[in-house]
Amino acid sequence: MIKAVVLLLFPLAIFSQVPVMPVTPQASQIQNYSNQNYTNSNNRNITTNTPTQFIDVRQTQQHQQIMREVEQNEKQRTETLNQIKSDINEVSSSLNYNLPSHSNEKGTEFYREVFDKMLLLNIQNYSVKDVNFDIENAYFENKLSKDEFDRIIKETAEFIMAKMREKNFDTNSNTAKNFILFEFFSQPMQVMGFKQKHFPIKYDFEDYWGRQNWSKMFVTKLIKSNTGQCHSMPLLYLTLAEAIGAEAYLSLSPNHSYIKFQDEKGKWYNLELTNAMLTVPSFILNNGYITAEAMQNKIYMQNLTKQQMLSQFYTDLASGYLHKYGYDEFVERVINKALELYPTSINANMVKANYNTEHLKYVVEILKIDAATQEGREKILHYPKAVEILEQMQKQYKVIDDLGFQYMPAEAYEKWLGSLKNEKNKQDNEREKEQLKRLTKALNDANKKMNKQSKS
Amino acid sequence: MRKNILLILLLLFSKFCVFAQNNDKMFEESYSLLNNMIETPSNYNFKKAVFAVENAYLDGKLDTTFVNNQIRILNSLSKSLVENRFLAYVERDKPTFNKWASVFEVMHDTIPLNIKDYVYKYIPFGYDFKDVFGHAKRENLFVSKLLETRKGNCHSLPYLYKILCEELGVEANLAIAPNHIYIKHKSAKFGWYNTELTSGIFPNDAWIMASGFVHIDAITNGVYMKALNNNESIALVLIDLADNYNAKFPNNDGTFVLKCAETAIKNYPFFATALILRAETHFKQIKKIQDKEKYNIAFEELEKEYAHIHEIGYRNMPDDMYLNWLVSLKTERSKYENKNLNIFNQK
Repeated sequence: MIKAVVLLLFPLAIFSQVPVMPVTPQASQIQNYSNQNYTNSNNRNITTNTPTQFIDVRQTQQHQQIMREVEQNEKQRTETLNQIKSDINEVSSSLNYNLPSHSNEKGTEFYREVFDKMLLLNIQNYSVKDVNFDIENAYFENKLSKDEFDRIIKETAEFIMAKMREKNFDTNSNTAKNFILFEFFSQPMQVMGFKQKHFPIKYDFEDYWGRQNWSKMFVTKLIKSNTGQCHSMPLLYLTLAEAIGAEAYLSLSPNHSYIKFQDEKGKWYNLELTNAMLTVPSFILNNGYITAEAMQNKIYMQNLTKQQMLSQFYTDLASGYLHKYGYDEFVERVINKALELYPTSINANMVKANYNTEHLKYVVEILKIDAATQEGREKILHYPKAVEILEQMQKQYKVIDDLGFQYMPAEAYEKWLGSLKNEKNKQDNEREKEQLKRLTKALNDANKKMNKQSKS
Repeated sequence: MRKNILLILLLLFSKFCVFAQNNDKMFEESYSLLNNMIETPSNYNFKKAVFAVENAYLDGKLDTTFVNNQIRILNSLSKSLVENRFLAYVERDKPTFNKWASVFEVMHDTIPLNIKDYVYKYIPFGYDFKDVFGHAKRENLFVSKLLETRKGNCHSLPYLYKILCEELGVEANLAIAPNHIYIKHKSAKFGWYNTELTSGIFPNDAWIMASGFVHIDAITNGVYMKALNNNESIALVLIDLADNYNAKFPNNDGTFVLKCAETAIKNYPFFATALILRAETHFKQIKKIQDKEKYNIAFEELEKEYAHIHEIGYRNMPDDMYLNWLVSLKTERSKYENKNLNIFNQK
C-alpha cells in the first residue's frame, strides 16, 4: 500500500517547479514541465499484492485472461506510439529549433566585429578604455568618434595629474592617485593653468537599469551629461585609473557594481561612486540579498581580476546586442565566451539563463504547445530536441541557484542605496575618509622628505 | 599500626586512580565512537554521538531510558503534526519541508493535545539566559539537561532539533556564527534558509553578516554560515568532548584534547573553535618547556597558528556583545526576519 502511494506521488514530484527566475517573470508559466517518466504512471496500479492463499483455479484462469488482455493492450499501445513517433519524427526533422538569427539586420555586423576583435585581446593586458569604447560604439553603429573620446580621457587624466602636483601629492602612490580620483568624482575641481572647471559627477536616477534606453549605462553618456549610474561611474573610474596608472578594481554586489582599491598598508577601500562615499563591508552585506553561499562561491564583493573583468565586458557586449536586437545564437556565443573566462560570473550566468528561457519560449511557440494545461505541457515529451532545450534551461537555473543568487527587487535596491544617508553609514564614510586622508598625507610627507634628502 | 594506615591509604589511593582511569576510558571510548562515525559514514548517528559525549562527562550516569523516552515522545508528537495539520506549501519537497516544520513547532510552539477528551497543553522548549556558555556548569550545554528542564541555549536547542529531524528521516544542517549555532535547510521554494531556535525566528543572512563580529573572509572561507555536513557536525561534537575533558581534568597534559582537535580540524579545516582549542592547548604545553631555545621555537610556531586563525577571518566576539546581538533579532525583527517564511503560525 505504501509503495502504491509513493508511486502515485512520484509523477507529482517530478512536475514541481523549477526555481523561478525573477528576471523574466513572464517565463514562469512555461517553466512547469519536466521530463517525466511515462512508465511510472502506467505501472502504478499494478502493484497491489494479492494474497496467494485465496487464489483458486477459477481465479487463476481469470487472472490469466486479464494478463492476456493487458498484454494485447500493451502491444497495441506500443504500435500506436511508434506510429505517432515516426509521424513526429517526420515533422520535427523539418523543424528548426534555433532562435531566428538577427544577423541580417542592419548594424549587427558592428557587434560581430567587436566580438572578433575582443577574441584577439591579451587577457592579462588590454585597455579597459578601448574595449569599453568599442562595445558602446557598436551600439551606435560605429558613429562615435574614438579620437574625441581618447582626447577627453587624456585631457581629464592630465587635469587630475596636475591637481595632484598642485596639491603636492606623491604621484607614484596608489593611495594618493585613488584619493584624487575619488575627489574628482565627488567634488568640484579646478587647477591653475586649466581653463575648465570640473563639477562632481551626479547620480542619474532616471532609468538607471537602462531598460528604456540601454545607452544610459554608457561611459560616453556619462561624459556628455556628467551624470551616470552604478555601471558607467565605476567604468569611467577604471578608465581614468588606467590613464593615470592607478590600480583599482571593479567589484560586484546584487544589481550593483563599485570600486575597490588597496592602500600601501594592504587595507582595502570600497568606493561607492553613486553617492560619493566610502563604505564598509557591512553596508554591502546589509542589503539583505547576499547569502552566505554567494559569499562562499565568491560571486560578490571580490575584486575582479583582469580576466574576470574581460568576461564582464563580454557580458556587456551581449547585453547591448540583446537590448537592441534580441536573443539569438550570437548572444549565446558571446556569453559562452564570458563564462569560459569566468565560470561563476553571476551576470554572465543570468544572461545565459535568460537566453535559455527565450529559447524554450520560442520552441514552445513553434511546436504550438499549450503551456497552460498539464496535457498541453506533456506534448513536449514527443520532441526530444525540445526536451533537451528545456533541460538546458533547468540546468542553468540550478547553476544560478547553487551559486547562492537571490533576486533583489528594484525597491529593495533603491532603499538600500538610499540607506547610505543613514547616520551610521555617514559616520563610517567619515572615518574611512579620515583614514585615507591621513595615510595619503603621511605618504606625501615621507615622499617630500625623501626628495629633500636626495637633493641635499 | 602504621603499616596498616599506609596500606589503607595506598588502597584508597589506588582506588582513586582506577576511578579516574575509568572516566578517562569513557572519553576514549566516545572518541573512538565519533572517529568511527567519520571513517565509516554509514555508522553516522548524531543522537548517539551527542549522548555518548554527555554520558562520558557524567561518568556514565546519563539516564538513557529517560532521554530515549523523551526523544520518542517528541518524535511521535512531530509525526502526528505531519499527518494532522495543514501546511500551505506546495513544492515537490513538501514531505521533507513538512517534517522540518513539525520539528520546529515541537521546539517552539504551544500545541493543544487531545487525550481522552481532555485538552492538554504541550509546552515548548524555552531559552535559558543563565550560563549560556556553560562556564559555570558544562551540563548547561547538554541536550539531556534541555530534555529535563525544558530550557536550553544555542548549543542544546539546535542539537535537539537536529536529532529530532534525523529521527524523522530528514536532514538538518548545523551552521556556526560567532559563539553560536543555528540550523540551515535548503528548500525548493526558499533556497537556503536559517532557523534560529533561541528565539524561534527565521533570520536572513544579514543578521549574522552585519553583527559586526564577522569578517567577510570568515564567510567566504566557510568559518561561519556554512551548512555543515555529517563529518563537520561530528567535528563539532568532538570539540564538545575535548572541552568537557578539559573541564573534568583541568590539569591534563593535552594529549587527548589535541587528538580531538586534530581529528576535528582534519574534517573541517576552517573550524575556528577547533583551531583555537588546538592553539590554546599548545600554549599550555609550551609554558612547561624549560629549555629557552626550544621554548622560543615552539612559541614562534604558536604565533603562526594564531596568525592563521586571524587570516581565515576569525575575530573574537566578547560574551556580553553576544547576548546583545542575540536579542537584536527580537528588537529589530523586521530588519532581520526572512519574510518569505510567513507560512508558519507565529505568535
